[in-house]
Amino acid sequence: MLEVKHITKYYGNNRAVDNLSFTVKDGEIFGLLGENGAGKTTTFRIIMGLIEASSGEVLLDGKKIDYSLTDEIGFVTEERSLLTKLTVLEQLKFYGVLKGLDEKLLEKDIDKWLEKFEITSYKNRKIKELSKGNQQKIQFISAIINHPKLLILDEPFTGLDPINVKMMKDAIYDLQKEGCSIIFSSHQMEYIEDFCEKLVILVKGHPVVSGDLKTIKNEFGIKNVMLRGEDLPLDEIEKVKGVISVSKVKGEIEVKVESRDIAPKIFSLVKNSNITKYDVVEPTLNEIFIAKVGGIHE
Amino acid sequence: MNKKFWYLTKVSLRKKVKSKWFVITNIILAVAIILLLNINSLVTFFGGDFDSKTNIIVIDNNTNSYSLLKQNLESYASSLNDEEDLRISVTESNESLETLEEDLKDDEILIELNSSEDEYLTAEVVSNEKIDTLTYQVISQGLNSTKTSIGMAVNNIDPNVLNNISSPVSITRVALNEENSVDENMGLIMSSVFPTIILPFFMLTMILIQMVGGEICEEKTTRSMEIIISNVSPKQHLMSKILASNIFVILQGVLLVVYTVIGFLISTNMLSNGLALPSDVTSIFDSLVAAGFIEKLVYVIPLTLILIVLSFLAYSIVAGILASMTVNMEDFSQLQTPLVFISLGGYYLAMMAGMFNGSILIRILSYVPFLSSFVSPSLYMMGEIGLVDIIISIVVLILFIYLILHFGIRVYKVGILNYSNEKVWSKFFKAFKSKDV
Repeated sequence: MLEVKHITKYYGNNRAVDNLSFTVKDGEIFGLLGENGAGKTTTFRIIMGLIEASSGEVLLDGKKIDYSLTDEIGFVTEERSLLTKLTVLEQLKFYGVLKGLDEKLLEKDIDKWLEKFEITSYKNRKIKELSKGNQQKIQFISAIINHPKLLILDEPFTGLDPINVKMMKDAIYDLQKEGCSIIFSSHQMEYIEDFCEKLVILVKGHPVVSGDLKTIKNEFGIKNVMLRGEDLPLDEIEKVKGVISVSKVKGEIEVKVESRDIAPKIFSLVKNSNITKYDVVEPTLNEIFIAKVGGIHE
Repeated sequence: MNKKFWYLTKVSLRKKVKSKWFVITNIILAVAIILLLNINSLVTFFGGDFDSKTNIIVIDNNTNSYSLLKQNLESYASSLNDEEDLRISVTESNESLETLEEDLKDDEILIELNSSEDEYLTAEVVSNEKIDTLTYQVISQGLNSTKTSIGMAVNNIDPNVLNNISSPVSITRVALNEENSVDENMGLIMSSVFPTIILPFFMLTMILIQMVGGEICEEKTTRSMEIIISNVSPKQHLMSKILASNIFVILQGVLLVVYTVIGFLISTNMLSNGLALPSDVTSIFDSLVAAGFIEKLVYVIPLTLILIVLSFLAYSIVAGILASMTVNMEDFSQLQTPLVFISLGGYYLAMMAGMFNGSILIRILSYVPFLSSFVSPSLYMMGEIGLVDIIISIVVLILFIYLILHFGIRVYKVGILNYSNEKVWSKFFKAFKSKDV
């Protein structure tokens, strides 16, 4: 279990992370969100022990993270961290041994992973000769080759096509089943919604939203009423108190309302129209993110 | 130092040694050094002829000194033959100078001897092309000696008396300070010989700076640094790069020595003639022993090697720290320039030391880290400083290495994770002052 307790990090007078706390239990996938420069990379570096927090502490299974524990952690950085002049085998061996694995026994494991990701034929090719997607797979394998207790994934799906995304997702779910704690960061909110049960949204290093995804959505308040039909009284809907906006989205009408209580009023207005769809849906994480991050900027 | 440190060192060294460029560079170096040491044979092979004879034709217009001149010319030419390749044949001709000039060949020189009331001997030397310095020197000395002999005979001067007049003053040199009891000519020899010996050290220093910096820069620019540093401490990372690069340059230095020895063996035909040293080499060796040179080398070689290894260490630590502050190779190339100039300065100081005997400034600079490995041994060989001074230079260098490691590692730890060019020096000084390592 990873425990991040009230960490704050200053670079000079600039506060990069401000009193951030969260816990990632074994077998849990946790989302760390924030716009560029929000403090995600600094948080990852503190967790990895690369930099010291100005205050607060990070514990893995109750122990402070230092070089005796980093063998238990896997890290996929946002930008590809590969030595491009090495071959795939050399690169994976290099990172594997740095994770404390035996160089002689490593090749068997490497072969297994290369086969799983369907890149066995590239084993002796140089990293720089590989496509971006295949490089990303190598980076992912290098992070999980040690079967980590904690896996940090910073934009892991960059450069991957949907088939390879699915392949990597399956691998992540397998690790989750093994009890690995996973921290996931991505700008693509659908991945976060897909993966994470818990998350935190950082704005200028400060957590503005934190907790269970379901609770966050419930507490967010704003809901969407999705309508499809003929002769919908859109002007009347717009005038209803509590309606934020009415817009056309992919052939449907999306009515944003301040709370779930407004939805019955909308229904009473459209029930006599020829409607084929009436659905009250939760806001997307993207909407919550824009509302929280954008709102603060405004 | 743990398993990961040795693994990092091994991988780093393997990458350098297994590189195709290392193999190609060494093939080129080996061929170049061996060819350079056998340049005479090479030029001869491609048509040059160092062994060609120069035919000197003497026209003696009633001076009766042909036999004497011939004897003198052959004597001087043979005295030079130990070190230089000069072959001459001297013949007399009864034909006139004008007649011989018409069919004069390129390898022929005409000497017309005349005498007058004022001069015992005058000569006109004719050739198609310019005469090389060595041949002209032999002709000039031969003519002078012949003239002196004629003068002695004419004036009935005893040869012993003349020899006493013309021989140089015999000097017995005594230096009260035993350390400085060296032949003064050694200064001149050292000012030209020592820089040649330390040239490979200068080149290896350049390679070392490039190698340490290049590798750290590469790991930074590919962002693999974050993964590596999350598994080994920055100190271990830096030390592994330094160790691997130092082993590499020492290996390269040893290979250069091996190529030189092979080239030397080929040039002196020792490979076919057995391991006995040629007579000219043993005679040089004997003169060096007589001058106390070899005795000094016995002390100075180990101390110089220690200085060189420590200097390599100091250069590589600074190169590593500078590389950690840069974000790409272009930045590092600029940042390493001061190091290159310092090392170049040391090289020139070692060369100039012979020209400025007794310079206090050069003596002080011989204690300065980065410069000491170039300057100290040079000054010692010239008798300017003693063994104690070299040992002081070594101690100063060890202290310097300790300090740059102690403070530099703070900068390195911050630098390797810095990818921004903004406020680099401010971050550098802040890290330098911090105790958080």
